[in-house]
Amino acid sequence: MTPHIRHLNKLRWASLTAVFLVLILLPCISVYQAYVAAHAYDLLTPSEKEFYDVMETLTDPFVSDPEHDLDAVKGTTWSATVFGLKVSDPLAVVGQVSAGLEIYPPFLLAALIPVIVTLVFGRIFCGWICPATLLYELNTNLAAWLHRVGLPVGNRHFDRRLKYLVLGIGVILSMITGSVLFAAIYPPAIIGREIYYAIALGGFGAGAVFFVLTLLFDLLVARRGFCRYVCPGGALYSLLGRYRVLRIQRKVETCNDCAKCTAICEFELDPMRDGFGQECNNCTACIAVCPTDALEFKVDIKDITYQGPGHLGRHYREQEIRPGA
Amino acid sequence: MKRRKFLQDLISTATAMAAAPAVEARVVQKTGIRYLRPPGSLDEAEFASRCIRCGQCGEACPNRCIKFFGTENGFKSYGTPYITPREKACILCMKCGDVCPTGAIQSLQREAETILDSVNMGKARVNESLCLSYQGKSCGVCYRACPLPDIAITVGWMEQPHVQDACVGCGLCERSCIQIPQAIRVIPKHSI
Repeated sequence: MTPHIRHLNKLRWASLTAVFLVLILLPCISVYQAYVAAHAYDLLTPSEKEFYDVMETLTDPFVSDPEHDLDAVKGTTWSATVFGLKVSDPLAVVGQVSAGLEIYPPFLLAALIPVIVTLVFGRIFCGWICPATLLYELNTNLAAWLHRVGLPVGNRHFDRRLKYLVLGIGVILSMITGSVLFAAIYPPAIIGREIYYAIALGGFGAGAVFFVLTLLFDLLVARRGFCRYVCPGGALYSLLGRYRVLRIQRKVETCNDCAKCTAICEFELDPMRDGFGQECNNCTACIAVCPTDALEFKVDIKDITYQGPGHLGRHYREQEIRPGA
Repeated sequence: MKRRKFLQDLISTATAMAAAPAVEARVVQKTGIRYLRPPGSLDEAEFASRCIRCGQCGEACPNRCIKFFGTENGFKSYGTPYITPREKACILCMKCGDVCPTGAIQSLQREAETILDSVNMGKARVNESLCLSYQGKSCGVCYRACPLPDIAITVGWMEQPHVQDACVGCGLCERSCIQIPQAIRVIPKHSI
């Protein structure tokens, strides 16, 4: 059996989980390195010794000198150092340039890879990497459960362009204050930082409260509301992915107009009527749910306009009118 | 009439609050918290606009002396790294500068000359009325803790510390001072 793109959604969940686990592992590694550097195993408390032993077992097969070798990977999805290569979120660059009103070329280069990937795949960071997305999607599942037992969940709609306003205001406020303000309201940056605070510095900070508020906003006001309407990073990625090279398209020949894709889309896009646009985060839930495999990735810098009702659906309707035709 | 007065007050307060950050924007905030920035950091006002709050410096710090501000030092400092030398001081390993992606903490070689030339976190200052050596009880702990002895700190015949201009402000002397409260403390660069 050849792998089908229907399974991409499972791969995406694996990717999101892996990123999240790495964000938990890195602070642990940092603490472990500090213990190693201190050369004082005997002075550790019993629980610290246990932690040390677990980390030693985990890392021992990969490194010979944990104190220095484990420096290879540092950081979060906001900004990371991977084997000497520095990679940063494009929003960090936008925030820094607008706050400092200056350009620091090495930092621009750090955003090069994410920008190129976004030019090809659009908001792929949002769907496949963002550590907040994992929690937001689990939150959506929670909302579905609450809805099932009859509790009210938010289903309000706002203008999707609101997030571009947030991005613009953020840039202007950063210029005025001379401070990178996006870091304080951008969920992936908050999550990376807060996990580090919780593990290495002994407790969550103010960012955790903000993140819980966004979860409640998603739960009680609008499904995936933060990503859809507020997130400045999502806005930037949407803009960069305006003319993305690879995008999902509908094959009108095999579509049967069942509307499952439109119902499942967490970003409230309309795949059944060819409405994808720059907001699509490649979550591929529509591909996974499509019963007739009518959705596929195509190389095209523009969405096609509405192709009309699916041919398969028309075929079914004709059969209903004239059975046996 | 009352309502109009109330609305006027409301509007003027709101405008004042909105304008306040703009006016104070590029001024270093004075909150009374004494903190050091990591070694090789840019000047305070520039630092807030360069630092993207990624936290890599803290993650790379083998001494775990780098902590991060919440909102206690003002919103401009939110998420930026700092060091409280009395709790844990900088060992000048220069790893934080290597991982900093924006150059808010400059990447510097771990050599005495480079550190003396380029690192300026602050200057140590001795309180002679608290210092044991100045009270005739020869101590000299700060001198022994200093990573740049005889360059940053010299001592007198009773081991009374004399801080020299070469002091880079790492805070190891303050960390090690056996007096409570400490008789030597680092005055941060941004508040000198």
